[in-house]
Order: sequence, then C-alpha cells, then structure tokens
Amino acid sequence: MYGATVEPIEDAQTDDNRLREFEARIARGEKIEPGDWMPDEYRRQLIRMISQHAHSEIVGMLPEGTFITRAPTLRRKLILLAKVQDEGGHGQYLYHAAETLGATREDMLDALLSGRAKYSSIFNYPALSWADMGAIGWLVDGAAILNQTMLAKCSYGPYARAMKRICAEENFHKRQGQDIVITLATGTPEQKVMMQDAINRWWWPTLMMFGPHDTDSPNSAVLIRWGIKTKTNDELRQMFINQTVPELLALGLTIPDPDLRYDEESGNWRIGPINWDEFWQVVKGNGPCNQERMDARRRAHEDGRWVREALAAYAEKQSGT
Amino acid sequence: MDTQWPRFIVFLQERANAPHQYVGSVHAPDADMALMNARDVFVRRPACLSLWVVPASAVLMKTAEELARETITYNREDDGAKEPYFVFYKLLEKGTLIHSGEVDAGSPAVALAAAYATDDGQTAKAIWVFPAKAARCSTSDDIQPMFAPARAKTHFRDQAEFHITTTMQQIKRGQDDDE
Amino acid sequence: MTNELHNALADYLLALADDELILGHRDSEWCGHAPILEEDIAFANIALDEIGHAGVWYRLVADLRDERPETYPDQLIYFREMADYRSAPLVELPKGDWALTMLRQYLFDALESVRLERLAASAYPPLAEADAKIRTEELYHLRHTTAWVRRLGLGTEESRRRMQAALETLWPYALQMIEQPSAELVEAGYVPAEDDLRHAWEDMVIPHLQDSGLDVPHQTILPPFDRQRHTEHLSALLDEMQSVARLIPDARW
Repeated sequence: MYGATVEPIEDAQTDDNRLREFEARIARGEKIEPGDWMPDEYRRQLIRMISQHAHSEIVGMLPEGTFITRAPTLRRKLILLAKVQDEGGHGQYLYHAAETLGATREDMLDALLSGRAKYSSIFNYPALSWADMGAIGWLVDGAAILNQTMLAKCSYGPYARAMKRICAEENFHKRQGQDIVITLATGTPEQKVMMQDAINRWWWPTLMMFGPHDTDSPNSAVLIRWGIKTKTNDELRQMFINQTVPELLALGLTIPDPDLRYDEESGNWRIGPINWDEFWQVVKGNGPCNQERMDARRRAHEDGRWVREALAAYAEKQSGT
Repeated sequence: MDTQWPRFIVFLQERANAPHQYVGSVHAPDADMALMNARDVFVRRPACLSLWVVPASAVLMKTAEELARETITYNREDDGAKEPYFVFYKLLEKGTLIHSGEVDAGSPAVALAAAYATDDGQTAKAIWVFPAKAARCSTSDDIQPMFAPARAKTHFRDQAEFHITTTMQQIKRGQDDDE
Repeated sequence: MTNELHNALADYLLALADDELILGHRDSEWCGHAPILEEDIAFANIALDEIGHAGVWYRLVADLRDERPETYPDQLIYFREMADYRSAPLVELPKGDWALTMLRQYLFDALESVRLERLAASAYPPLAEADAKIRTEELYHLRHTTAWVRRLGLGTEESRRRMQAALETLWPYALQMIEQPSAELVEAGYVPAEDDLRHAWEDMVIPHLQDSGLDVPHQTILPPFDRQRHTEHLSALLDEMQSVARLIPDARW
C-alpha cells in the first residue's frame, strides 16, 4: 500500500459519448496524448502509419548508404553520411512515437523483418549512379517533406512533435539533393546525361509515394476525420508537382511525361496517367530491390543479436540479479 | 524475447536557465549507455547543455483526461520515506512536457497528487513524475566532450549552408537574359 | 622552419590523415547495418568525426606544401595511387564483426587521445590549434568505445570469445601504429617521441583490456612496419572510394 492510490471513478460513459467527446476535442484542435481515451481504430491506424513511416526511414538508409563509400568529394562524403545517419535518427523518433501507443520496437521490427509490415515502396528502387543522390534528395525527400509538414499538425501529440523535429532536419536533406542536381545539371555533358537519367528513373516512383488516388485510398476518410491527415494524397501530389516541375525545367532537365502540360486556368501542372500496376507490384514485394532490402535488414538484425545479448547480460550482472 | 534493450525517456536542456524538455526515448542496456545514446540520437545538431535519462518504467504519466476520470486518495499514514521527485507538466496544447521543479514525496502517487494540486497541475494537459534517484543526469563536466562537438559540425549538416534559392534565381535570371 | 622540417612534418600529418580517413571509411560501412538503431546512429557519429579529422590534417598538409587547402584534400583523397597512401594496416583491415570494429576503434581512440594530448603542446602553432578542435571529439569516442569494450568483454561467453579473437588479430597491428617519428621533428618539439607515446598508450589500454576479461597477447618482437606497403584490402577500398570522382575528367561534383 502506497501513500496514495489512483483509482478510476465509476464510469457510466458509453463509448458513443466518449467518441463524441474525442471528436469534439480534435475539432477544437486539441492534441491527443498517450493515456487519453481514443477509439481502437485511431490507435490501430496510428500504429500502422507511424511504424510504416519508421520502417521507411530505416530501409531508406540502404539505397543512399551504398554511396557513402563512393561520394566524390570529402564534403559530399560528410554530408551524405550525416544525412543517412539522420534517417536512422528519424526512424528512432518515429518508433518512439509508436511506442507511446503501446507498440514495442521488438514487435514492430519483427513485423518488418517477417514481411508483414510495409514501408515506402520508393526504397525498393535501386540507386545506380551518384546523380541518384541528387534525385533522391530533391524528389524523394522533397515529397516526404510535404507529407511530414502536414503530419506535424496531426492530432496525436507525440507523432506531431516527432514530425516537427524531423521537418526541421529534413530541409537539409532536400537542399543537399538540390545542390547535387544543380551541380550536375550545370556540369559537363556527361554529368547532365547522368542527372537526366536519374530524374527519368525517380520521377514516377516519387509521384507514387503519395499513395493511391483519393478514390482508391480506403483509409483516407477516417484519417482526415480524426485529424491525422489534413490533406489528401492527390492534393499533396499536386503541390509537389507544381513546386518541382518549373525548377527542374529551369535547370534544362526534362520530365519523363509526354502528357505533362501547364493548365493556365487552375495554375496546375497536369501529368499523364500513373502506372498503378507498377505501384501495387512493388508494394506487394515484387519491386526491383524488395528482396535485397529485406535481406540487408535481416542480416543486420541477426548479426547484431549476440551484441545486444552481450550488453543485456552485462547489465544484468551489474545490477546484481 | 525482447532484444531491443529497455527504454529510457530522454529530457534535454537547450540552454542555461531553460527547463529540461521531454524529447523522446532511447533503448539502452543501462543508464550510462542510455546517456551516451541520448547524446548521439538527440544532439547531432547543437543546442544542448544537459541531458537526463530515466527508465520508462520509473515514470508515472497521467493526462488531464485520466486525472479527471480518476480520484487520488491521499493516505498520510501510509506515506513512505520522503525523497525528491521531478515534476513535468505539459501546459501548452502544441508543446511537450517541461520540467517545473521537484516535490518531496514518499511514493509516485503522492508526488503526482502534490503536482496535481498546484495551479499548473490543475491546468496541465499532462503530468509526469519520477523519483530523482531513478534519473541519470549529465553534469557540467560533460558539456565539453558530449555537447560541444556538435557546434563544430554544422558546416555539412545545416540547411543554411546550401544557397539553393539564390542559385536557382541566378540560373532563371540568366535564362531570361538569353532570351 | 627549414624545408626538411616542413617536409617531415607534412609526411607525419599525412600518415595521421590517411589513418583517420581509412578508419572513418571502414566505420561508415556500418551505417544502416549496425546491431541496434541507437548504435547505428552513434557509430556514424564516430565515422563522421574521423573523416572530418582527416580533412583537418589534410588541410595542414596543404599549408605545409603550399597547396590550396580548399582543393588539395580532395586531390589527395581521390587522385592519389595506393603506393602514395600512408595508412597503416590496422585501419585497412576489413570491418570484420562488431567485436573487431569496436576493439579497433578503441585501440585507435586510445592512441589518438594520448597523441593529441601531447600534440596540444606542439611547437608548430597550427598543429596545436587543430589539435584542440579534434581532441574534444576524440575524448568522447574514447568514452564510448571504452564502455563498449568492457561490456563486450564481460557480457556473454560468445562476446568474450569474439573480443579475444579480435584482440589477437589486432594487437600486432596496433603496436605497429606507434612509430618513431623523424628525430628532427621530436627535437623541434613538433611531435611526441615514440617511447613516451607507447608507455602512455599501454598504461591506458592494457589495464582496461584486462579489466574487461581479455588476455593481452605477449608480443616482444614487433613486425616490421613500412607505411609505403599496404594490405591488399586497401586496393579494393580505394577502387571503390575513388570510383565516382574519377568517372569524368575535370568534372566538379
């Protein structure tokens, strides 16, 4: 018996009432904190989204990671290593946000390594040349920032705070990518060819990153209703296209889309059809690098097991148990 | 079996006279490693003067909504030997939990009751308490080796190092001149 | 400063720089593959620091050789042939398992820390200044790797076995690292003498390795050491490291 006890008051509230109060809180712009009542579906959707997001950061370290040892200047080497390290850090913040909802990192990693959990399909494409470091930074990180800026305003406090921290660091990622793209696009003819090739390969997969069209996105409505997302996939995708196309064109690069045109009336750049068959194939595990990425993660996890066990054993001995 | 090591909550002080703030957590086998991991995870960029880490299991966390649903019964005679507890409040909707001081209490629940009874406690969105002795805190001797190095490394990690907007404007202007 | 002294100091610093670069490169190979996420981030910090320190030393070499400090480091890193590298075998060895990686880093950090402590008093002012910047980072590395060595040595049967194996592999290479600098550099007070370094280093690492449950190998005859000769591992490492930079002549990256 401790000096004080904390006990639930007899609670006659029905779940309907609670749901109404919960939705009213979100409508008032309040942040939900761990411990607050929340619908099971809210918790489930958040754990799904946040852990997928965390996995994407960790798997996302791999394609760029292969160029750390090949970065062509000392400065680029430091920048790229710091960037890939940041991605690990962002994964770490995100796993923590999911942990506040009761998920454990052990379970989340198990879901990733056993293939049950998904991660952003973009990281199943290969990084083939140094120009890809520019394309990934500008396109992939640029797209991610739009999504993350939205999520920094989301209704779940720990997720919003993690996103705020991530957004502050992510701008560096995009800019170092732009810096590479500008350098190559204004460099030698061979460098321009390299850069164009990278844009050609990363353009469409980046557009797919925003997810299916709103009409085919089953989770969208509930995510918006509960303030997890505040913009739809198509809205974010259009923002990205509008901000990126003119910049790439200004650099003398082209967009690999014969249907691309500027719509004077709406002020939007209109794109041709997205190949959703390819998207679903990659999501289902049949992308160019799915197997490689998972193998790398599993190997690191298994090779590291004795290390984690050793430190746990040492801690146990020290605590005298 | 969980092979990811226990979790330690991390609190970070950005500058002198600013309170420690809850920033996240790290997995670590013990408190010493937790402090180092916190440094590597949360101080890749500058602005840190002090870190505290505390086992997640040692922190009593309650939101305002939980406290409204629960009653706190205070039994003076059952109170154990008093020790200092750190108190954290979340006062702003968009903010995080901020260190507000210490209370002496004989148990986590008593510390929570005392923290709740204050003006800040009544308006806080969330209250956390944990015994001071459960925390591992960096010291002033740690500032130089642990937190100073990040200041020397901004040249490759800072977005301000890349002058993209200006460069793009120059490129676009150059094209206009050509036409 | 005489020309010979200039050249000798440049050679000395070039060896320091090459060691830091190659070790940092090896460390960076773990990025995304370390045993647990927190350590992945922590070890990337160490890799970043080592590569950064290489840059500091290369810039001093540039000054001593009247080269441009903005461009000379990249020339040295990306356009030097293997025969002109001055790195030691200890840092060239492949990354191995986590025990080898961590123990190598520890042995290197310990040597760095005793050397940097002495270089702070170097009679060559730019060296003493650069030293001050690097030393705080190295102190933290040493703290990190010291804690790791102890935990791996005293952790499980498997971790002790791996650490012992790593120690037997690395020990002769680590001893090699403490070389006799040219007499004129020591006399001028630019750099510390070899026996002073050796004692300080051994006083630091031997008790810690023993406290960590490891048997320190007895090595009385040191293998001959020549920084102009390399392990075969360096060749593959340089091929990879220099591949993009050499792709297109005269390109800027």
